[in-house]
Amino acid sequence: MDTQERIRQTVTTNPVVLFMKGTPNFPQCGFSARAIQILKACGVNAPATVNVLEDEEIRQGIKEYANWPTIPQLYVNGEFVGGSDIMTEMYQSGELQQVLTAK
Amino acid sequence: MVTPEYVRDLIARGLACEHLEVQGDGAHFEAVIVSAAFEGKSRVGRHQLVNKALGAQMGNEIHALSMKTLTPAEWKAA
Repeated sequence: MDTQERIRQTVTTNPVVLFMKGTPNFPQCGFSARAIQILKACGVNAPATVNVLEDEEIRQGIKEYANWPTIPQLYVNGEFVGGSDIMTEMYQSGELQQVLTAK
Repeated sequence: MVTPEYVRDLIARGLACEHLEVQGDGAHFEAVIVSAAFEGKSRVGRHQLVNKALGAQMGNEIHALSMKTLTPAEWKAA
């Protein structure tokens, strides 16, 4: 299976997926840590996560998948929602909570 | 090392901006970008316009860029 197909299966078989650096308990980048905190604040305590530092193909492939060059990346119901800036703005405006409860 | 001025030039060359501020430490940058090109675009669409201007440097030499993307009307209201 090629990398794009692996990513597609990951985001379509899990309602909420965060591609991040590190793990929820040990994030390895401040932006990934912030993304996890925001999800927790929205009541998503155990999102599916993919540690891109453990898979170089995914780390490169995820940049092409949504034409988005940075990590973290949040997907809900297979759709790309945004990176940590957009998650922050959507959390502050209440939109992210809506997207996550509608999942 | 990448300077904030360099990042600002890259954005300005690829995107017509009414207002553009970039601060940073060489790897992590923060930008406030005001452009009429953002009208009618989602947040993801706006960031993608900026990322396109930055090209291959984004995610490589530029480790991270936090951005606020506003239309001129949103900028005036802010």
